Amino acid sequence: MTDPVGSTEETGTRDVLTIEGLAISFAQPRPAVNDISVSIRQGEVLALVGESGSGKSMTARAVLGLLPPGARASGSIRFHDQELLGLSERELSQVRGRRIAMVFQEPQTALNPVRTIGWQLREVLRAHGSISRRDARARALALLEQVEIPEPERRIDHYPHQLSGGQKQRVVLALALANEPELLLADEPTTALDVTVQAEILTLLRRIRENTGTSILLITHNMGVVAEVADRVVVLRQGDVVESGGTAELFRAPEHAYTRQLLDSVLTLPEAGDYVHSVPGPEAPAEHPALSYESVSVAYGSSRRGRAFPAVTQVSLDLAPGEVLGLVGESGSGKTTLGRLAAGLVPLAGGTVRLDGEDLFAASAARRRELGRDLAFVHQDPEASLDPRMSVGASIREPLDIHRVGTPAERAARVAELLEAVRLPAEVARRRPRELSGGQRQRIAMARALVLKPRLMIADEPTSALDVSVQADVLALFRDLQKEFGFACVFISHDLAVVNSVADRVAVLRHGEVVESGPVAQVFGTPSHPYTQRLLAAVPVPDPSRRTTEQVVEANRRRAG
Amino acid sequence: MTTSRQLTRPKALAGLGLVGFVLLLGLVGPLLAPYGPLEQIEGANLVGPSPSHWLGTDEVNRDVLSRTLSGIRLDLLVVFVAVPVGAAIGVLTGLLTAWWNVADVLTQRIFDVVLAFPTLIFAIALSAFIGPGVWTIAIVIVALEIPVFGRLVRTSVRTVREMPYVEAAQVAGAGPLWVLRRHVLPNSLEPLTVQLAVSMSVAVFIEAAMSFLGIGVQAPNPSLGSLIKDGTTLMYDAPFLALGPLALVLVLVLGLLLISQSLSEAHRD
Repeated sequence: MTDPVGSTEETGTRDVLTIEGLAISFAQPRPAVNDISVSIRQGEVLALVGESGSGKSMTARAVLGLLPPGARASGSIRFHDQELLGLSERELSQVRGRRIAMVFQEPQTALNPVRTIGWQLREVLRAHGSISRRDARARALALLEQVEIPEPERRIDHYPHQLSGGQKQRVVLALALANEPELLLADEPTTALDVTVQAEILTLLRRIRENTGTSILLITHNMGVVAEVADRVVVLRQGDVVESGGTAELFRAPEHAYTRQLLDSVLTLPEAGDYVHSVPGPEAPAEHPALSYESVSVAYGSSRRGRAFPAVTQVSLDLAPGEVLGLVGESGSGKTTLGRLAAGLVPLAGGTVRLDGEDLFAASAARRRELGRDLAFVHQDPEASLDPRMSVGASIREPLDIHRVGTPAERAARVAELLEAVRLPAEVARRRPRELSGGQRQRIAMARALVLKPRLMIADEPTSALDVSVQADVLALFRDLQKEFGFACVFISHDLAVVNSVADRVAVLRHGEVVESGPVAQVFGTPSHPYTQRLLAAVPVPDPSRRTTEQVVEANRRRAG
Repeated sequence: MTTSRQLTRPKALAGLGLVGFVLLLGLVGPLLAPYGPLEQIEGANLVGPSPSHWLGTDEVNRDVLSRTLSGIRLDLLVVFVAVPVGAAIGVLTGLLTAWWNVADVLTQRIFDVVLAFPTLIFAIALSAFIGPGVWTIAIVIVALEIPVFGRLVRTSVRTVREMPYVEAAQVAGAGPLWVLRRHVLPNSLEPLTVQLAVSMSVAVFIEAAMSFLGIGVQAPNPSLGSLIKDGTTLMYDAPFLALGPLALVLVLVLGLLLISQSLSEAHRD
């Protein structure tokens, strides 16, 4: 691929940015970017898509000379007719922020917490030219209006912590737009946001492009996001361009096997009307549910000082043996707290949690430890879910060691058995976690969870930190294991499609309360609560012919008005 | 596993070589010494370095080389016994108290008080009660190292107990002692080894300083610190007296610091 992608397709508009034969290498054997050629036309939204290690972020960073120390870049990056590679810091500062701006993933850390947002906007405006205080404030207000922040006159004097995550990302966008850049680099701008907020930010990006003609280079791993906003797509894999083309064509007829694989691993939700009133999931003949929450409440913070924050209020849910219950909701909905509650990891403020009919919080410490044998926990973060100092085999064996189950030989045999169950070679047992990939580590975490043959598993976002193709494998493995071992499971996820693919029943949480619950096909197919409907509509659909987020945002606005 | 690899780096090898040299001298030195440490030699008063007295003789006709070789032993005792004892007590205290909030707060405040006390003032005060001597040095070093190690390990406990793998073990039924032994201790060994090397070099210093001030090893027994003190009082008449012991203190401290530095560098990689 030496031809800049798409530069010959249309001649009407000129290229804003042309990247040719870009290669970036570190002191590692494999270069981070091998050979990437991309061009962006005026007013275009170009998506760089790829999984971790594809070089998508490195490419964007190279444009602004923001590569980490030790990285060497070669090739060419032309902005209009100016070569950007090899510019001095001083020359780059003429381009950065003024003509090319960048939006980062995490709005939390992109804003200075001790300054008002007005101060930060003025700072950016004054950094690139003399502008009076009064003009700067007026311009800042105009920018906040442009990114559709309600009541800009009031908000301008607020500090970042007074804003929600979505509003913060709007402010970050306003900062990027302050000097009317011709090109906006957006590195996973919505990844840290909830789906309903993501929908709003994506709409805003589209509107910015329409109103200002700014070109946008959007970096993302999410095919749904690509389908929603991008005009053209470039698929990257391990530092090389795999495929590129117009969004509609690429989604309709992907040419490269890797692109097809990426698209296939995107999980979809049932369509409205897909749901047929079929026989509900496994009927529970057992007298005891595996887990039951009886109007439980959890509060964080000191209740003595009267500042306790209710994380969960009056939730009642039952989980039949062998059933998978999905807990979905946005951040702050209390889904993780509910999961941790079942494991006894957070204090209970009211109500009863029963494991297999037994009151967990009334049990003695020793009895609780016994109950722990029937319960397992799988965490989100594959980096931290295994002790870095222990071999993988020792990690899986640990629950057996704790409860002194069997002889050392029997324990080793059980470890081998479980490694086979999670489809990893037996020799992995001798390795350290850092020698394994994220997906492999999550498999190991599942093997450890299953070693005592638990009747209940709590899985807290077990696949959220994984790439989509890895996620698909791990979810398939989870379904097989669940079928094979027959454990009940509380599956927590913010991703509705993930829950849809593994759960029998689902409970939608919002602000610590259950909004709606029922069989997955029913809740997702014919949602009855407006919040569930909004949540479902906000999920970006990996089909460019059905851009839905615009309608969601409208619905949100109507609700707010 | 990693520690053996770290110790083969050039810097670590140099440090090990220097410390090993002093250690060897301390172990076999008294056998090589031409005279006894307290033996007075007829007609050899403050003679300069010569083939028969490599480091000369002192004002009461004793061979300084022989005294230095036997004085090393005391420093080795301080470095390789007192410091590890203090470290072990500190690590245990830190581990066992950090898990429970009330015990943690109490212990850490006591550590604050001990650490806030200047070491030498503490040493002088202690020697006023129990008198100067080897035991005083040992107690000062142990008392100083307990809070240093206790605090270090406490930080590890606080970090590691929040890790998901600890939660996974707790959910599976592991108690605090299990978690401390199986997860916390192994994960805090690396900073502890670095601190151990640093503390050992500090201990050499404290021995030298206390003996120098006269509250450590008492005449006529030699130690590196007391030999340096004796040497400095006769600095103008016999400048050679303090040189040998000074060089040994330097070699020992340098060696220990090189080891600790290469250990901490290896951790950062």
